[in-house]
Amino acid sequence: MKRILFFLAVIFPILLCAATGHSQDWTSIQEAFRKIKSVRAEFLQKRHLQILKDPLLSEGRFFFDASGSLRWEYLKPLRSVMLQKGDAIQLYHFSEGKWKPEMIQAVEARRMVLAEIHQWFQGRFAESKVFSHIYSSGSPPRVVLTPKEGINKFISRIEILLSAKPGVIDRVEIEEPGNSRTSIEFRNVEINPSFPSEIFEKP
Amino acid sequence: MTRRQGLHILVLSGLIFSMGCALLTEKAIGPGSPDDLSLCYVIFPAGSWESVHKIEATIRGGASSTLLGVTRGDPTERGLHSLLLTPEGFILFEAELRDGKIRTLKAVAPFDSPAFAIGLMEDVILLFLCPQGKPASWGKRGDGTRICLWEGPDSSRTEIKGSMERGWRILRQDDQGDVTREVSLNGPFVHGLASHLELRAFKPAPYKLRMTLVQAAP
Repeated sequence: MKRILFFLAVIFPILLCAATGHSQDWTSIQEAFRKIKSVRAEFLQKRHLQILKDPLLSEGRFFFDASGSLRWEYLKPLRSVMLQKGDAIQLYHFSEGKWKPEMIQAVEARRMVLAEIHQWFQGRFAESKVFSHIYSSGSPPRVVLTPKEGINKFISRIEILLSAKPGVIDRVEIEEPGNSRTSIEFRNVEINPSFPSEIFEKP
Repeated sequence: MTRRQGLHILVLSGLIFSMGCALLTEKAIGPGSPDDLSLCYVIFPAGSWESVHKIEATIRGGASSTLLGVTRGDPTERGLHSLLLTPEGFILFEAELRDGKIRTLKAVAPFDSPAFAIGLMEDVILLFLCPQGKPASWGKRGDGTRICLWEGPDSSRTEIKGSMERGWRILRQDDQGDVTREVSLNGPFVHGLASHLELRAFKPAPYKLRMTLVQAAP
């Protein structure tokens, strides 16, 4: 009995502190996310495929506006851009010196992905219709997204690794069934920059 | 007959005549020396390889799309594994050729028809695997151009023509004698893979694939 009391006396406060600390961390992170109105960043995407020894590397940049606009642009190895302004989504690729409309728009699938990206950059993980989330403090802190029924055929798990700077995402790791995965590392992240609205309208 | 109609017929006749001449020239190539035979295979990788290509596909009417093509090949087993991905890395299509059979592993609309899978994998085979068997004829022209001609059991013909300096061309004819595919390959060659490829399909549906090698490894 003494042992149990000792255990409770020592362990319970530790657990309580940990829980409180976690809560404070998560609260401050969400508070930081709420202050984000716009983001500009570059990214390096590493696509690991089971049939490739080396990952497929892509580089690009993105512009995000919390009011509902996003420009997700690949610069290498092929140049293409996905533009979202409100409900409108457009895709273009750059070929023979000019931007051309993309034949395979797949707008519905991309709309779903873009909705998720919007939620991530604003810390609104609980609003996802297709993922449940768990916050894990640690080094680095991360949000683990687990797909619900249906989407788990395509994605096994997503980890969003947060920067030491609250509200900033450092890296996103997407795991698929069959040992394929994608890692997106963000660099030169600028929070709340201003940019012209036409970058979400024209390639 | 108007003067314009007459001109059209003249131009058409000239084109038909010149195509006929081209075919006769290829038929006239006799069996070359055994040393020249190895040059019939020079545009295909000799060992296992993997590659990533940037692909621009254009269909009739000019609509186009850019995709990434990932392929792993094993020429000794005549095995291929190919994927088509969006720039974001989403897999649209995945299929393999093994033991002479094409098997679709993943396909999302509009790439989910069996006809698409067969057509795409036949293009990948044409681009990366040497035609089966020994050429029916091969030889070398005075200007150094190599020509190799395979005749398939179904009366189709595959011709490979060119040189490392001027680039290469693959021509596929069906049993009716119609050209169904024309491929141009240009160097530099990396691990046996051409850096620049252009495939033009004429039959049954016309389209064009322009491919640039992005990554290659043995």
